Amino acid sequence: MDNLAEVLQLFLSIDNFIAIALGVVIGVTVGSIPGLTATMAVALALPFTFSMQPVAAILLLVGIYKGGMYGGSITAILIRTPGSPASACTLLDGYPMAQQGHAKKALKTALFSSVIADFISNIALIFFAAYLAKIALNFGAPEFFWLICFSLTIIISLSSGSMVKGLLAAFMGIMLSLVGLDSVFGSQRFTFGNYNLMDSISFIPLLIGLFAIPEIMEFYRKKAMPHLKAKASGVGMTLVELKRCMKSIVRGSLIGVIIGAIPGTGATAAAFISYSEARRRSPNKENFGKGEVEGVAAAEAGNNGVAGATLIPLLSLGIPGDVITAIILGAFMVHGLTPGPIMFQENLSLIYALFLGIMLSSVILLVVGNAAIKYFSLIADIPKSILFPIVLMFCVYGAYAVNNTTFDIWVMLAFGVVGYVFNRTGIPAAPFLIGFILGPMFEDNLRRSLLIGNGDLSIFVRGPITWFFIVITFGSIALALYRFFQSRKEKTGSSPDNQSA
Amino acid sequence: MNKLLSTACLALGGTAVFLSVGVTTASADWPTKDVHLVVPYAPGGTTDVLSRRVADLLQDALGANVIVENRPGAGSTVGTGRLARGGRDADHTLLMASPGHTIGAAIYPDLPYDPVEDFVFIQNVIDIPNVMVVPTSSPYQSVEEFIEAAREENMAFSHSGVGSSIHMSGELFKTLTGSNMTAVPFAGSGAALPALLGGDVDVSFENMPTVYSHIQSGDLRALAVTSQERSPYLPDVPTLSEIGVDNLDQFVTTAWFGLIAHNSFPEEGYDAMQAALDEVMEREEFLDFAEQLGAEPGQVEGEAFKQFVIDDLARWQEVAEQAGIRQ
Repeated sequence: MDNLAEVLQLFLSIDNFIAIALGVVIGVTVGSIPGLTATMAVALALPFTFSMQPVAAILLLVGIYKGGMYGGSITAILIRTPGSPASACTLLDGYPMAQQGHAKKALKTALFSSVIADFISNIALIFFAAYLAKIALNFGAPEFFWLICFSLTIIISLSSGSMVKGLLAAFMGIMLSLVGLDSVFGSQRFTFGNYNLMDSISFIPLLIGLFAIPEIMEFYRKKAMPHLKAKASGVGMTLVELKRCMKSIVRGSLIGVIIGAIPGTGATAAAFISYSEARRRSPNKENFGKGEVEGVAAAEAGNNGVAGATLIPLLSLGIPGDVITAIILGAFMVHGLTPGPIMFQENLSLIYALFLGIMLSSVILLVVGNAAIKYFSLIADIPKSILFPIVLMFCVYGAYAVNNTTFDIWVMLAFGVVGYVFNRTGIPAAPFLIGFILGPMFEDNLRRSLLIGNGDLSIFVRGPITWFFIVITFGSIALALYRFFQSRKEKTGSSPDNQSA
Repeated sequence: MNKLLSTACLALGGTAVFLSVGVTTASADWPTKDVHLVVPYAPGGTTDVLSRRVADLLQDALGANVIVENRPGAGSTVGTGRLARGGRDADHTLLMASPGHTIGAAIYPDLPYDPVEDFVFIQNVIDIPNVMVVPTSSPYQSVEEFIEAAREENMAFSHSGVGSSIHMSGELFKTLTGSNMTAVPFAGSGAALPALLGGDVDVSFENMPTVYSHIQSGDLRALAVTSQERSPYLPDVPTLSEIGVDNLDQFVTTAWFGLIAHNSFPEEGYDAMQAALDEVMEREEFLDFAEQLGAEPGQVEGEAFKQFVIDDLARWQEVAEQAGIRQ
């Protein structure tokens, strides 16, 4: 009982409430500006937390993280410019929805699934942290390798229409991801001696170029587009739709939780895996990529499910899974706290106060997100001839802001042309992205396993986790091939679907 | 039309607010305007967090704004290259240099700058020792036992990326002791830790702040520290140089962080920075921060700092050559 009083005393302070609310607002705002990521915002906010109470300090950073995770989806849906890498997947269905006059519905779907996923993720953090942390520790390079193999099989399911084009796109993504420094020997690969390419091709300029620029080019190519008579922002999400998406949201959240608990995988991969699982199981498979509500829900559930769970290895083991949690770890240390098993013994009240704050952050995200949608969805009503020049400005700024280098603006423009060619030729962008994201993870974990095993291949089948992923990887390939040939048999003669994902 | 104009103005104005920063409140000869502190790494890393803390304190000491600018890329060579080019603000621009400065110069060919001659070396601000750690389940209780075993079988050591001080320390250990060791790269220390805790790799030469809590909790065993003196945080753990077997007496390396500037940096700036840093490094906030990192305030300044960098560079060039790391 003493503990409870102490927890409440630590938690029920106006500072904490202000910190969470401020954090979520900053996160949503920053996340929605292309090129400014939640990581940057958390890093920039860190010095301000030095003088704050520890609970408020951490909650401010956690608030920014969660807000940013959601905020990225706003511009992805409205102007096809993902605010952060994790929201690239949301755009696949979110933007088509906005174009069809359902911007508000897409934004609300993204918000509701984000909040639900966030909530589930928090529950996992609070109740299963110790258990999930143990699983995470058993996840070595070979286990990772098979997880990535499984994730790569989603390329097949996302290559809607032409599998050849999908695989081609994935191949191009993997080839481009090879640019940079070799992770083992540090030698340069395809950098042509250019220092700007040594850290590989910057992801955010690539994303902005690939998605936003072709849209602008397409607009000017067609010159005038018919103006929509009705309000383009449309109406929100209905309860029926929410119910229909619920399964995908919960599944996506759980995928996010597991991926978040394993250090080093990240929200982007979680979003794509969740999306492809939703598509695989949906009766409206054909509609994915063309403006399917469930697609938006699954993608956002996947990336927000990660948010609470990345705190699992941080709090229970003291291991930061990504850059943001590394910064949060820094914030703990500045206040003389060291996350890990010892903190659970020595500062239990503080941890529970933090948990309460984290739960509250989900609720605040709902409120702030709703308010944001009210204003942001008006963007959909702005005539394109006014909107697109402003978007272009943001594209240039966003590409520049990531590393403060003009080289990235060129990267963005170059990928704009690539994206335009993709659109015109019906090559889907999603497999390209997956190749680009997962390619290096595949290579690194393969080589890491070989180095750890000293060349002994038995390391790849060393335990139940590896076997589990081997089985589902091959199962997934077999299923996809079966479905592919099945649908081909049914559709013989019909022209391939030319839409871009 | 007016609406369009106002929207555009608003958007442009918003961007301008992002890009522009504050006003100068300086009164002395130097600084006469905002001071820029270039961090050659992305936001969030140790160098960034440290730089922001130092910038915060320097601001008071100098009475001017200190603006942190992240210029990441290719180790730290992109940001350092930018400083080396000089330019209009070179007299008010500093850079937080770290082992990346010397290791980068040792492993990248044809850098567009000279890591020593193109810069003014102001002061080493902080030193973080690396710790040689093994999982608690490991059979090795001492460095000597480890070396003995590493002669018989191959040992895997984790590191946070090619050219990091953690990687190079491992290579240096391998070179000096003639052990069989394989470097296993990870994307950062956070990703490397589980492999060490889970026993997938045998050893690591991690930065103190990364492993300190795990040593305290008993998940990792510290065999030695890499600094010249024992660390006050791990007083019972010997230094590698005091163990001294197999040329280990030459093994002294720390992750150092220090301020450098373009070689056109003015004399009065140098003096003002020295005075400001002396003040900052005595502040309680700074000492507390150093303690949390398991770090110690830097010891060398001016010419001594320059000589330190020259020695560090020579050492890493030798290690890079022997380990075959050359880009």
